[in-house]
Amino acid sequence: MKFSLSAESARKVEELVRRYPRKEAALLPVLHVVQREKGFISPEAEEWIAATLGIPALQVREVLSFYTLLRRKTAGKYVIQVCRNISCYLAGAEDILKYLEIKLGVRAGATTPDGRYTLLAVECLGNCDHAPCLMVNDEDYGPVSKDAVDGIFMGLS
Amino acid sequence: MNGKGMVTIQIDGRTMQVPTGTTVLKVADQAGIVIPRFCYHPAFEPEGSCRMCLVEIEDLPKLDLACSTVVREGMNVWTSTPKVLQARKNVLEFLLADHPLDCPICDKAGECFLQDYYDKHGRYASRFLEAKEKKEKKIPIGKRLLLDRERCVLCTRCVRFLRRVTGTGELGVFERSVKAEIGIDEGTEIVNNYSGNLVDICPVGAITDGDFRFKTRVWFLEKGRTVCPRCSRGCNIVVQSVRNYPLSGRQRRIYRIVPAENQDVNGYWICDFGRFGYHDIEDNRLTAIAVNRGGPAEGRPHSWEDIVKGLAAEIRALVDAGRASSLAVILTSSLTNEELAACRKLFADALGVRSIFFADPKPGKADGYLLTADRTPNGSGAAALGFSPGLPELEKLAGAPDLLIIFGPHLLEHYPAERLADSLKGIRRKYLLAAHRSGLDALADIVLPTAHPAEKKGSFTNVKGTAQSFECAVKPPRGCLPEGEILSRLAAELGVELE
Amino acid sequence: MSDVTATLIPAGENSFRLGAYVGRGGYEAARKTILTMKPREVLEEVKKANLRGRGGAGFPAGSKWAFVPQADGRPKYLCVNADEGEPGTFKDRAIMTQDPHLLLEGILLTCYAVGIHTAFIYIRAEYEAIAQRLEAAIEEARQKGFLGPDIFGSGFGLDVLVHRGAGAYICGEETALLESIEGKRGMPRLKPPFPASVGLFRSPTVINNVETIANVPLIFRYGADWFVARGLPRDGGTRIFGVSGAVRKPGLYELPVGTPLGKIIYEWAGGPAEGQSIKAVVPGGLSAPFLTPEEIDVPMDYESLARAKSMLGSAGVIVIGDRTPIIDVLRIVARFYAHESCGQCTPCRIGTTWISKIADRIGAGAGTSGDLDLIRHLAEGMKAKTLCPMGDAAAFPVLSIVEKFGQELGEAISR
Repeated sequence: MKFSLSAESARKVEELVRRYPRKEAALLPVLHVVQREKGFISPEAEEWIAATLGIPALQVREVLSFYTLLRRKTAGKYVIQVCRNISCYLAGAEDILKYLEIKLGVRAGATTPDGRYTLLAVECLGNCDHAPCLMVNDEDYGPVSKDAVDGIFMGLS
Repeated sequence: MNGKGMVTIQIDGRTMQVPTGTTVLKVADQAGIVIPRFCYHPAFEPEGSCRMCLVEIEDLPKLDLACSTVVREGMNVWTSTPKVLQARKNVLEFLLADHPLDCPICDKAGECFLQDYYDKHGRYASRFLEAKEKKEKKIPIGKRLLLDRERCVLCTRCVRFLRRVTGTGELGVFERSVKAEIGIDEGTEIVNNYSGNLVDICPVGAITDGDFRFKTRVWFLEKGRTVCPRCSRGCNIVVQSVRNYPLSGRQRRIYRIVPAENQDVNGYWICDFGRFGYHDIEDNRLTAIAVNRGGPAEGRPHSWEDIVKGLAAEIRALVDAGRASSLAVILTSSLTNEELAACRKLFADALGVRSIFFADPKPGKADGYLLTADRTPNGSGAAALGFSPGLPELEKLAGAPDLLIIFGPHLLEHYPAERLADSLKGIRRKYLLAAHRSGLDALADIVLPTAHPAEKKGSFTNVKGTAQSFECAVKPPRGCLPEGEILSRLAAELGVELE
Repeated sequence: MSDVTATLIPAGENSFRLGAYVGRGGYEAARKTILTMKPREVLEEVKKANLRGRGGAGFPAGSKWAFVPQADGRPKYLCVNADEGEPGTFKDRAIMTQDPHLLLEGILLTCYAVGIHTAFIYIRAEYEAIAQRLEAAIEEARQKGFLGPDIFGSGFGLDVLVHRGAGAYICGEETALLESIEGKRGMPRLKPPFPASVGLFRSPTVINNVETIANVPLIFRYGADWFVARGLPRDGGTRIFGVSGAVRKPGLYELPVGTPLGKIIYEWAGGPAEGQSIKAVVPGGLSAPFLTPEEIDVPMDYESLARAKSMLGSAGVIVIGDRTPIIDVLRIVARFYAHESCGQCTPCRIGTTWISKIADRIGAGAGTSGDLDLIRHLAEGMKAKTLCPMGDAAAFPVLSIVEKFGQELGEAISR
């Protein structure tokens, strides 16, 4: 099965490769482009990226395994990141996380069986004055209460 | 600053003068002060990740790495202050916290950095009460190599070796934090000709060789340095064998070959082809004189004395009858310079033998690094001694010689057995001097067991023209004699001066 | 001058737009400076202003720039550190969200001073919306000739790229940041050599925090003397203090360098949360040693905090109330560093997880009497011995908690 990107993603990749002083420096941005379109980085994607940037596939995998937000497995349509660091902890983040685990029926780190939600407990999101905070994909929410969480979920299609 | 780019520093109270740009660790090595290290290897740029080589430098607030700190004029280095000793203990304590303590079943025991350093620099009581990180053990990574992630201390020497030396980059570092681990791409295997060096450079038992696994303990092994005879590079090697074999009760005599450092020849490495040549020293050896037809005192047990006397008598008979030209000798470039010189003095000069040929192992493929296409150790030596190595033509050989002396079993690599048997049939007397059994044994009248190069003293001249002398690295099996010794006795019997 | 032009975080929904920025005088300082001053003069002015780095280390910006070799021939780079991973820190988010052009103008002036033509903004992946806002702002600026090949017709050219991280706190360390831009695992490099001589792609590189760079236009709008007067003689300007945790009014407070910590907590942030008193305060991001309530009278500047055996760091103030068991704080702190360790060097790779395991065990009720001493021993084993400052960052807060709250921890163990 040959790997290919949408025309727009392919164009983005081309532009990235052009703008960076060295091809291999475009690795992280290219990984982001691929992950945004496909949801994760597959072995075929690794090979394709490696060939595009002229680096060994092993290096792509090494980098992939280092960064928390890059995935080798598909995630839910909505990735929910709940901060578990100090300011959010003080504001009750543990309760929010537990509430979400019950609501979604999965433990932190897992994806719901219907593939809609991935729940992650993460470190500081840089939104400490809105503790306890969380992110749903690229959106910030905080301070969240259990009610607010319910409200967020109602708004997700 | 002294003139001429030299720098004077103090290390543990000793004054040393070294070239500008030298690192503290290299100065210490020169001064005979051993600073412990895991990730540093002289073949690579300093890595600085193990933190074991921290030393105290006067006027600097923190301990500094000896491997990467470059000396400056007037620097004052202390390698064993309480702070330094504590820092070493700390590193060991960290490494051993998650280490599986497999010593009883780990091949590296006896030559393991963790063991050695704990003994010298550790000696603390472990305070680790938590659950150790469980990781995969026995991961095949190619060519009989096994990776044990629990034992690994993440020094990354293996990764760097495969990137910088072989350029093949099979291994990488994956994940992060305590989960960081060495890994290989699925479906990939390390297949290059230098994989054996990974076992040598791994400071612990994380990478082990299936060929050596569970076979012996390193403290039973004696070490003998010599030159590898499997190609013309002349890599310096150390042959490791068991003391007092076979009395010691171990299963074999020779267990391993590892590199010996020689910056002019092989650097720090040897190739796998040479490394696994240790089997040659032990396997398939001829160990007893065999007389197939005729010869001295047929029917009686034969001693070297009998054989040498008998051969001398036959040669003398030919020479006296003015038929020295019917003597033929087939040599090999696997003989030492001293042996080849003796052959020339004895056969060419003293006996006037014209028919001197060479039968050598067939050339193979050079690997672009150490392994040469020429698979003999002394081709250059033979040339330097005036020989022009060339195979005998079988048709010419067929009727001509009365007495043929063959060194080595390599003729069979060049001619099919039947053709050879046919040609040799007509030759009245055939002597074979070889270390290994081969199909040639049956074709010769008298087979004499010789020593392997590792069992001899002598010199080889390598592909670069460098002559390298070596001592006997391991004793030959009883009953075998080095060719040089046989030639010496033969010459004495014939009254020929070999000096 | 009005506060809105002299602040780093202007109010208003549309403050981020180019029109609004120009309306409050934006890019004028850069134009005047680039067209009338020489790069070396610009650098000297920044030195005069005593602008210290606002990412954590507090190194004087002008001096750092001066380390870059000029007659070199290699291309030079600026990397703006927008990774903002230090827990308790959220100031750069606000600057970039509400005043992206201030940052761009700062980048422009910095690059002009050092002779740099390519700048990267290394922004954490979680700030995706902000990254897009920055990219839009860059495009706006390019359209107007404030960025691009020939800025203000001066002949000076500059390209700015936004480079997203991918979830690794360690990439906020300057050499790990460089590795990450180069497309590798974010593993810090051995120093020396320093980035000023061997940096991105082995070229001379300046790395500065967002807030540091964002202050540069102010220096040229109002002068170095004005900047120094706003803060302290050796530490000019304002700091954006982020206050979070058990306080009534968590938020960002832009105040002069040297404002006392107690004042920030009680007068600006409304004091501790309802029904709680202060148990402990983190003054400069989680990697700074904790302070007890008796110690919060300290002025918030580098020297004063160093004297108090803590650090100004990223000026992220976290207030911990008396309702929070200190063992929970220890667990969270230890878990954070264990998770974020890059794994390269022995003490941090093993030490952070070991300490985290001990803290978890104590929290689960299975502590033993030797645990605190062991934690201290392990943290000391990491301190000043790791390849990068994260070893210290992991060790300092843990050591301060064990030292200053040893009694409460001891009680947690005996229970």
